[in-house]
Amino acid sequence: MSRSVAPTSRIALFRRANPALLCWAGLFAVALAVFATASVLRLGDLSPRFSESFLAYGLLPRGAFALLAGAALGLSGALLQRVLRNPAADASTLGIGSGAQLALGAATLFFPALLAEGRFLVAFLGGSGALLVVLALARLREYDPVTTVLCGLVVSLVCGALSATLILYGGDYMLSLHLWGGGTISQSGWRDSSLLFGALIAAILAALLLSRPLTLLGLSDESARGLGAGVGLVRLSVIAIATGLAATVTAAVGIIGFIGLMAANLARLSGARTVNAQLLAAPLMGAVLLFATDAAVLLFETLTTTSLATGAVTALLGGPLLLWLLPRLAHRAGPALSVPVRDIAHRRLALALLLAAIPAAFVLSLVLKPAMDGILLDLAAIEALSPLRWPRLLAGASAGAMLALAGTLLQRLTGNPVASPEVLGISSGAGLGLAVLLLFAPFAGTGPAFAATFAGSLLSLAAILVFARAAGLGPERLLLGGIAVASLAGAGVTLVMARGGPEASRLLDWMSGSTARVGPGLALAEAAILLVLLPLALLAHRWLSLLALGTPTARGLGLSPERAGSALITLAAVLTAAATLAVGPLSFVGLMAPHLARVAGFRRPADQLLAAPLIGALLMIVTDTAARSLAFPYQLPTGLFAALLGGPYLVVMISRQRR
Amino acid sequence: MTGGPPLGPTRRAALAGLAGLGGAALLGPGAFAAAAIGLQRKRGAGEAGRGFAVVDWALLETALILGLEPLAAPELVLYRRLAVEPPVPSAVADLGLRGSLSFERLALADPAIVFGSNFSAWAAPQIEAIAPFVTYDLFLAGEPPLSNIEAMTRDLGDRFAVRARADRQIEETGALLGACRDRLRAGPFRDVLLVDLGDAHHVRVYGSDSLFGDVLQRLGLPNTWEGGTRYSATAPVGMEVLAEFPEAFLLVVGPVPPDAGRAIETGALWQALPQVAAGRMAVLPPVNAFGALASARRLSRFVTAALLGERQNPEGATIRRSVRS
Repeated sequence: MSRSVAPTSRIALFRRANPALLCWAGLFAVALAVFATASVLRLGDLSPRFSESFLAYGLLPRGAFALLAGAALGLSGALLQRVLRNPAADASTLGIGSGAQLALGAATLFFPALLAEGRFLVAFLGGSGALLVVLALARLREYDPVTTVLCGLVVSLVCGALSATLILYGGDYMLSLHLWGGGTISQSGWRDSSLLFGALIAAILAALLLSRPLTLLGLSDESARGLGAGVGLVRLSVIAIATGLAATVTAAVGIIGFIGLMAANLARLSGARTVNAQLLAAPLMGAVLLFATDAAVLLFETLTTTSLATGAVTALLGGPLLLWLLPRLAHRAGPALSVPVRDIAHRRLALALLLAAIPAAFVLSLVLKPAMDGILLDLAAIEALSPLRWPRLLAGASAGAMLALAGTLLQRLTGNPVASPEVLGISSGAGLGLAVLLLFAPFAGTGPAFAATFAGSLLSLAAILVFARAAGLGPERLLLGGIAVASLAGAGVTLVMARGGPEASRLLDWMSGSTARVGPGLALAEAAILLVLLPLALLAHRWLSLLALGTPTARGLGLSPERAGSALITLAAVLTAAATLAVGPLSFVGLMAPHLARVAGFRRPADQLLAAPLIGALLMIVTDTAARSLAFPYQLPTGLFAALLGGPYLVVMISRQRR
Repeated sequence: MTGGPPLGPTRRAALAGLAGLGGAALLGPGAFAAAAIGLQRKRGAGEAGRGFAVVDWALLETALILGLEPLAAPELVLYRRLAVEPPVPSAVADLGLRGSLSFERLALADPAIVFGSNFSAWAAPQIEAIAPFVTYDLFLAGEPPLSNIEAMTRDLGDRFAVRARADRQIEETGALLGACRDRLRAGPFRDVLLVDLGDAHHVRVYGSDSLFGDVLQRLGLPNTWEGGTRYSATAPVGMEVLAEFPEAFLLVVGPVPPDAGRAIETGALWQALPQVAAGRMAVLPPVNAFGALASARRLSRFVTAALLGERQNPEGATIRRSVRS
């Protein structure tokens, strides 16, 4: 940790008796020993002739690829963190991995020929597409680190749900994507390793060329510009290099979570202070980290003869690091959402119209023809179909209203326009609950499944609240706990899914947000929960108004901001948990409805709290109708469909806002 | 679909009967099936004329070989690509994904009864609101499934008064498997290992409790794989486990993902695999792993053709042998 480490020279880094470096060297030595042990054990069972080949074309390339991929992800993470001035930036937190995975899945299904030659290009395009969306969203808040990571999580969730849908529609043929989504580093030749080696060398050279402007980028944009760096061009090329590295790894072995995040942060902690030292240390540490993880996985696989996704294991390791890191992020307060909206003119009339639109849409949806090959059903068909339709519609509308309420509470409370129930970690916890149940009872019925999802949401809610209390965090920081819980739970779900049995397709179905399994009982329960919680949420408008005046004022007016904050967060979490049971982990309604209400002119907390749930319910009725009709008889998952409507809407809204 | 039969009191009677069935369902699938049979008999032959639906591919192919045409069946787009035979008449309505059935289309098809397997049991609450739902336990861990499949075939035969046809199908399947067994006895290969590919590095091995494993058993080809399985196939394992059985003939059931296909053809590790190096490997066209008698026959034809070195199976589907020999 000594300050006198000569930063530009690798030799100098090693010459000093730096305790951190000794630790790293020790970890590498242990990992080598584990790798060797696992290899010897594994080769022992094989015939001598094949064991030679397996060592040469299976095990050695695997070790080499783990080292190279770790280095590539470490470098990618260091570059991204530098250029975005965000210590939580990484290929996995910014959605690059999920974007690449989605593009590869779509190519497998629709353009298999493209995949044979252009695999890496497809992954790069997907990864950079996802990153572009994340950055476009994060621009709103001046690339504030927390907002950027929130956007990355949202984009990852949407890409994940889309991939899940592709897998479901592709049938068994897409099994490869299951495995691959978790990032297994198995190799059967040197092709991937040599490709990655080339990419890594090129990237290192480019990074070295850019190291001077990169140093300047660490300062503020103004000073960098003043010192003559072409800020935009440098930033763009650095992001392209980082994306290219991550996409290359993803194209070869799938998503390897959080290696870049860990490597770059540990590099700083180990005493790499300058840009050059970081660009050198992060890849080295990434290589050691991934190699060590994969060696442990290899040993585990050999001893238990099961296969385990290395990428999900690294995500399990990375989750706690994120938890530790996030509260330490610099908070860059961006401008609050400032669309010049006026208060809506006829407030009561508008609310009444919204309220009336819901039953109208509900009834219309009940009597529409299923395949859009006409408009209205005949009476007999209405009698046959209504019992199937109303539970979905009622559950969807109730869930939409609850998510909208939760979103309004969270956005008002944190002042962060990207805050939404989807990123609170509750829904991911619900998924983990379902995954654990299916692990032990793959054919579990609907009842136990709902019980398990609810238990999962409650547990993750408890975890978030405990974390928040322990760290004494404000509401904004609470979102961070949500991100970490979401990452951990996501890794757990991936591990279960990689087993590939019937439980995998059940999980995929839930992840994609299908309402097909909702029955009358659950629908009525959702409506009842909404009716109980709605008045509570409406009562919160006074607190929200007071909290908006700032902590001292609120305190002066007799409100304890901490207590009010945690009460509102708990309410939002319970609303989310209940909604998740019906519509799955994402819908974007919780993100969209509050914005729509505000843009329409329902600016004051009381108005927004009334309008947002009405809009949310209406949105879910419309999307559920569209989702069941568009590809009839093949049903699109409602939650996913809502997300697909919501994503573009958000980008458009935000780009308008910048003018 | 609007021209479907009108909803009369019969439909309500069915629903009322179903309420009683709820109790029977709790007692187990056997009691449930028995109750459903009773219900159908009570409702008389006129009801059978209203047709039936299936929500599982094993039931679909069984109905078709019995000469019965369901009103609706699931995921026909993928069925035509993966299960292939017997062909599905174009009049059969598609119910959407097996995991996300379109209950609306099922309700509009207005079947008198719906058949499924334990894989479709999850949909029972919704299906039972539409028509009586009979499920058969076909694929259970540790149980060779063919006898369950034969029992299901006979039961369908009884229900639709085509028992003779059902018995003939079972007999013909037995005869085909027996004939293949005799031909294979003269052939050079004893041990086989039947797998499908997850990606270039992972395989799933089909065990004796799978349809594939049971068919191999009846073909006199002992299953070399001794490890446990889950739901018919193992969870994906590294391809190197294949090298533990160097003498076995390696059969890869399609479809093979494009990447994995290239790895088999040119990948260094695959080429070093003892079976591939010795030319003891074949890629078979797709067969439905969770099918019934028709799938069993389809697989046995492909396996026999592959092991006897015939390039073509009787229907002309190509079987690729390993390029090296």
